[in-house]
This record gives sequence, structure tokens and C-alpha cells, in this order.
Amino acid sequence: MGERTRQVLPSVLSVLLALAVCWLTIALTRDADTATRAYLQMLWGGVGNWPAFLDGGSGTAVLRPLGEAAMKAALLTLTGLSVAVAFKVGLFNIGAQGQMIWGALAAALVGAHVSLPGVLHVPLALVAAAVAGAAWASIAGVLKLKRGVHEVISTIMLNWVAVSLVDNWLVIGPLRAVAEGASSITGTAEILPSAQLPRLLGESSRLNLGFPLALAAALGVWVWLSRTRSGYETRAVGLTPEAARAAGIPTLRRAGGAMALAGALAGLAGAVLVLGTEGRYPGSLGAPYGFDGIAIALIGNNHPLGAALAAAVFGVLRAGGTRMQLLGVHKSFPELIQGFALLFVAGRMVWLALLERRQKRAQAQPPATSQAQVEVPRV
Amino acid sequence: MSLEDASLDIRTGELLAVVGENGAGKSSLMNVLYGLYHPDAGTFQMDGKPVRFKSPRDAIAKGIGMVHQHFMLVPTLTVAENVVLGREPTKRGLLDLDRACDEVAATAKRFGFQLDPRARVDTLTVGSQQKVEIVKALHRGAQVLILDEPTAVLTPQESDELSQVMRGLVAQGRTVVLISHKLKEVLGVADRVAVMRRGRTVAEVRPSETTVSELAALMVGEGSRGAAMTGVPVTAGAVASTGLSGTGTTGAMETRPPAPSSIGASQEAATGPVVLEAKDLRATGENGRPALQGVSLTVRAGEIVGIAGVDGNGQRELAEVLTGLRKLEGGEGTLLGGPLAGLTPALAKARGVGHVPEDRLARAVVKAMTVEENVALGRHRQPPFARGPWVDFKGRRERTDQLLATYDVRPPDPTVALQALSGGNQQKVVVARELDADPKLLVVVQPTRGLDIGAVAQVHARLREAKARGAGVVMVSLDLEEVLALSDRVYVLYEGRVTGHFAREHLDERELGRRMLGAEGSHG
Repeated sequence: MGERTRQVLPSVLSVLLALAVCWLTIALTRDADTATRAYLQMLWGGVGNWPAFLDGGSGTAVLRPLGEAAMKAALLTLTGLSVAVAFKVGLFNIGAQGQMIWGALAAALVGAHVSLPGVLHVPLALVAAAVAGAAWASIAGVLKLKRGVHEVISTIMLNWVAVSLVDNWLVIGPLRAVAEGASSITGTAEILPSAQLPRLLGESSRLNLGFPLALAAALGVWVWLSRTRSGYETRAVGLTPEAARAAGIPTLRRAGGAMALAGALAGLAGAVLVLGTEGRYPGSLGAPYGFDGIAIALIGNNHPLGAALAAAVFGVLRAGGTRMQLLGVHKSFPELIQGFALLFVAGRMVWLALLERRQKRAQAQPPATSQAQVEVPRV
Repeated sequence: MSLEDASLDIRTGELLAVVGENGAGKSSLMNVLYGLYHPDAGTFQMDGKPVRFKSPRDAIAKGIGMVHQHFMLVPTLTVAENVVLGREPTKRGLLDLDRACDEVAATAKRFGFQLDPRARVDTLTVGSQQKVEIVKALHRGAQVLILDEPTAVLTPQESDELSQVMRGLVAQGRTVVLISHKLKEVLGVADRVAVMRRGRTVAEVRPSETTVSELAALMVGEGSRGAAMTGVPVTAGAVASTGLSGTGTTGAMETRPPAPSSIGASQEAATGPVVLEAKDLRATGENGRPALQGVSLTVRAGEIVGIAGVDGNGQRELAEVLTGLRKLEGGEGTLLGGPLAGLTPALAKARGVGHVPEDRLARAVVKAMTVEENVALGRHRQPPFARGPWVDFKGRRERTDQLLATYDVRPPDPTVALQALSGGNQQKVVVARELDADPKLLVVVQPTRGLDIGAVAQVHARLREAKARGAGVVMVSLDLEEVLALSDRVYVLYEGRVTGHFAREHLDERELGRRMLGAEGSHG
């Protein structure tokens, strides 16, 4: 089994198994036909109803679902990358949610209160969000590197600090938009049109610049990790910190840098949400894309492109999930599928052992004249 | 790691040694016996009946115990807790620790071990931890005890003690299988010796009917007999009399370019400039206790300076100070033109310090990375490994291919993960990388620990080559024979102080031994 296969196959099988388990759940509680039709609805809701479109349906039937899927995929890609990048340097970033909250707030403020032409306004808001996310992540980074505070604990706690400060105070207090007339507005002020991420497929679809931006981020992170000196150093620090130190690599700087980058990516996710679809920091950030990022990174095997791929798959499922309700199936099934996939992918070593046994049995069919190849189990 | 038509018979109540080079299949064969690996073909019988072990559990049930080279102990648990782990005595469903201690103490006493069952394992010396492993196996009723390279981690004294332990076990009717490639030691303790080469058992001899050189030849194979013998640091005398054979080739070294002819002249006084001058060095060890308590030493270009001593007397910390890995807390020194204080690993590298550390997997390599990525480690910011901020894939591949060929690394594939290589080949990669940087001061710690004869000879030749090229070499080794064979001068460390300093012509094994145990003497 090639190294690439070993990396990809467990994730693919886990997603398929999760799909099967959830199909079975619907089939058992309702019936098989409903389960199949619900899955089809989910698919049409995610990638568009191509059969209908090709039969002469309107373009909207395809563009709108694709736009929704791409939007969700963009957010999941960025938070997934956030977790994956930290993981590459050996840190487990549970704090993408908190970093995303600060990024979203920074984007909302710059978007609403700075007046600039669009070509500058969008980049400035994005940069502000990245910086805010990076700063929040760096608190955990500095605590880890200077004081040895475990990053899992600190990032979890910082998530709650972020929720308390932003959602429970700033957004409903000092930064709350001034109510116009009697209408009650939650959240911060509307961003200016110049700060909106441009829509790419016209008004019928919410697909905006956020999607290509997320893909570019994934590509950029991959190139950085695999092709640059500093990316190589970052991986070395993550895999064997003591050897990296002995080789003269500035381990603290690399770890701190990766953690800041992780925060910046999560912050960008917040910006894409605010500048792309929400138009302001809403009363509460709502969907926990930051936590989903953990699942996306793990299903993507902590590989930047793997995370992007996993994000695309679950973006489609999530966008289509609401359409399952047409058949009376609850819309939370995509999340359930994601949860199961995460559970199964956590057993990566079990998958590999099963696959290897299969392969060995296949090889054992011709009489064993080849010499024994024994793979030492990783302990 | 593979086995090809390997046969072995083990007789009750004997001490059988299995010798062979790294990758010869010793460990694979033992792992088959222990149920870790499953043979593709062949049979396995115990007491005349065919058996098949699905897992080590089956092997343990049949009375086979194994002591691995890397201990399988939980460091934060006590001796007794470790020994009973998996079959704990209970009282009303709860762990009965008192009974566990009593049981373990009884087992230890029965086989003549001195162990405190209530001591935490991480407070024990390596030698004592190994005893815990042996007691663990015996406690589970092991009749056949397999010891995998047990002396690789032991001091000479501990090795002697282990030999007595093994003989004692045999005297009590147990069977001991010893895997080793320390031939002298094997001949001193074993009843029978099985030799493995390339996955096969090629010979079976009695110690009384063979010699170290004959065994070495069997291990390496015909055709390279002479070279194998000269490469083995059998005794100081033997090595000296073979003219410090840098030019010898074994099967494993055929592609190596001939070494410069000046290498043999190690007796010449070092006349090169001083590369390291250190006075009164002080540093704290891992355990918080003072490890260096005023060490002074001088190293010149073109000499090998051996650091001898019993394990844990400050040698490791000295090497760490010289490579910038440990903070200097007192004393001063000049290393390659700069101060020793405030040295960092990056600074040391920049000044031209090469480092072959003791714990390869923790410090020298990133085992999950490829061979070529490991070759670049430490020099990854400069050509041919980088171009600007980018990794130079082409340059890195070319240099790696070249080094793998020169140092005869097998397999010569730059793209496999380093952990797929055998220990000897991993070490070759490390040595190749460090020497390729053309260091002015080379700090090596236990450079041949756990390596087979071919690899040992090659590493030794390389160290002499570095010296011939004008590098100052500081070699820390627990293997006295290695120190005697290679060093131009030797410092003896005892409890963080220099207790002896000998020039090569005044080297005397007995006197070294006395100083290693703390006997005072005037500094040579």
C-alpha cells in the first residue's frame, strides 16, 4: 500500500461508512425508500439538481445550491486549515471558534466604520480579521511556550472568554448598532457595500470571493509546508522537537508562528462569514464552524489539501441538509454524518490494520516464495 | 527486516547466544518466537509438539519471556506495580499492593536480584530497570528468557553483573537466549552460539571451539574475512597491531573511497591549532543535580579526544554543553574562536561543530521524515538544500544520492521514511550528514552503540577520516575498547570531574578503569 493511499483511504472509507450508518438510521426509523430519497434531496441541495437543470430547469436550481455549499465549504476549509496548521507543529488548536469570533468582529468593525474604496476595503478588513485571530491564538501560544500551559486547556477556555466578551457584552453592549426607529437590531452595524465580498455568480447565488480565497489559503499552506525552508522547519518541530532544536531550528519561533497562523486562518473564516453573507457581526456567531474545523482537519488527515477536500464534501452535505426536511427527515443529519465520520477516522490505525490484513491475504494466495516482509507495528 | 530459511533449536537449561549483524534477522527471529511476527512458511515446535503463537500472550502462556532492548516499563509506577502489571493480585476487586510487593520480592530473592519492590522505576539506573524487566518475565513463569541486546545500554560493571545473572538463571534450570553482537562478551558467557546472516542461520558453534575473529568472519560472510577482523575493536592491542585499519573494507564498505594514507598515524602528537579550550566547566544535569563540577579540557585540530567514564558521570552533559544544547553555568571556554558561554545549537553549527548524539531517534533525526529530509536537517537553510526561502528538491536529492552511495546506506532510497531503515543504516545517515558539513569540531556520543560489526568499522573509519581532514573530535563512549582504539588522548570523567588525562602512549586499561571508579591521580 502506497504512502498516499495509506493517508487518504481511511478518511474516504470513514465518510462512506458514516453515510451508510446514517442511511441505515433513517431506513430503520422510517423506511429505505425515504432514506434514499432524503439522501438524493441532500445531494441536490448541495450540488444542484442537475437532472432537472438539464431537463430545461432554471439555472438558479443549480447555482443557488452550489453557492450555499461553496460558502459553507469556504468556512470549513479555513477553520479546518487552522486546526491542521497548529497540528503540524504539534499543537492541538481547539480554539478556532474563539479566534473566528474575534476575526468576525474585527472584520465587522473595519467593514462598518472605515471608509475606503472596495479594492482596499476588503483586503483591509480581511487583514484586520487575520490579525485579530492571530492575536487571540497567540495568547495560547505564548502561554504554552513561556509557561508550558497545555494548549488544549488554554484554547478551550479562551473560546469561552471570546464568547463572553464578544457575544455577551460587546455586541449587545458598546458595539451594538444604534436602533433605527422601532426596529430592534441585534449585532453590530451593517458593513459598507465597499467591504462586501464580491458575489461571483450574480445575485441568484451566494457564492462569493470567500470560496476562492479559502482554496488559495489551502494551496498556500500546502506550498508553505512542503516547499519552503520555514515550512520544513515547522514540520520538523512538530514531529521531533528535540531533534529540531539540536539542528539549530528556532523551535519556539516556529511553534509560535504556526499557532499565530492558525489563529489568522480562523480569523479569516470569521471575516468570510461577516463580509460574505452576514453583513454584520450578528447577535451571536451561531454555527460553530470553529469546532467543525477540528473534525474537518482530522478527516482531512491534517493535510491542507485534505482539509479542503473534507470541507468541500461536508459543505455539500450541509448545504443540502435543509432539503431533507421536505421528507420529514431532520436537517441535523449532515452534522451527524460528520460526527460519525470523525469517530471512524479516529480509528485510522484500525482501518490500516484491516486493509493490510486484506492485502496480506490477497498476497498469500500464491504460495509464499517471496521473503517475509514484516512491518514493525508503530508503538 | 526479513527471515529466509532460518532454523534454530533451543535446548532446555542452556545459554544460547544468537549473533549477527544489524538486519541479519536476529530480532525478527526472536519476534517470531515471541508471537509478535508470524512466519510465512516453516514450522515451530516446543517439546516436540508443533505450536503456533497468535500473539505474545500465547508465548507467555507457554513460558517464553522477552526482555526488549527498549524497556517496556511504566516509569511512574513502582517496581512491583510494573512486574504484576496485567496480572495484578486483588483483594475484594481492588489491587492488593502489599501482596504484589511480597510476591515480587519473593521472585527477586529466588533468583538473586536485589530490587526494592516499592521503588519507582524512573528513579532506578538503566541496569536496575533491566533487572525489573527480567524479574517481570520470570514472575510470569518464563522458562525461556529472550534478551535482545541487553548490554547495549549497560556499563561494563552492569554487563558483568548481567552475565552472572544469566548464568544463575541457567543454573536454576531456565533457558536463556541472548541476542548480541558483542562477540567477546558472548564467548565469555554462552554455552552455544548461533550465527545469523541475511535472514539465515549460517553456523552454530561452541565458544570453546571458536574465536572472536572466526565468529566475526561468519557474521560478515566469506570474502571479507580479513577486513571484518581488523575492524572489530576486540582489544586495544589487537586494533593497534592492525595499524588502525582505516583502509580495510568489509562487504558493507566496498563503495567507500579509499581513506587517506595518513590516517594510520594516530600516534603522532596532535600539532593542530586549538579548537576547544575549556576551563572549569559547570552545568546541571537533567535530574537537577550538578553534572559538571569543574571540567577543563583542550582539543586540537586533527586529534581524537576520548571521554571515558561510567555512564552518568557527566559525559552526556559535557557533549551537550559543547553543542549548545545545555546551558553553561560556570567556567569559561573558547570554542572555534568564540566564547563557549551563551552557545546555542545554531551558533555551534555556524562555527563548525558537528554532532552525532547518543539518542539518535530523539535528537539526531526526525524519524517520520524521509531520508533526504533528514540529510538536510541542520543544513536546510543553505545550498544545496535550499535556494532562497525554498527547499531545493533537486540539489537535496543529488547530494543525498551521493551520500547514500558513499556511505553505503541500504536501501539507497532517499524517499523512504528514515524509520524504515535499520539502526545501523540510520546511524550511517547521521554520520554522513555531520561529516558532509566538514566540521571543525566533531562531538560524537556513543557513536557505535547498538551497531553491528560492519557499521562499527565504518563509523570508526569515518571518525579517523574526519581527524585526518583536520577536525578535532571529541568522542564520548562507554565502550572502553572503543575509547582505547580510537583516542589520541583520553580524559576520564568521574562525578563531573576529570579524574584522569592520558596521552595515547600512556594509555593503560587498568589505570583507566581505576580512574573511572574515582581513584585520584595526578593529571597527565
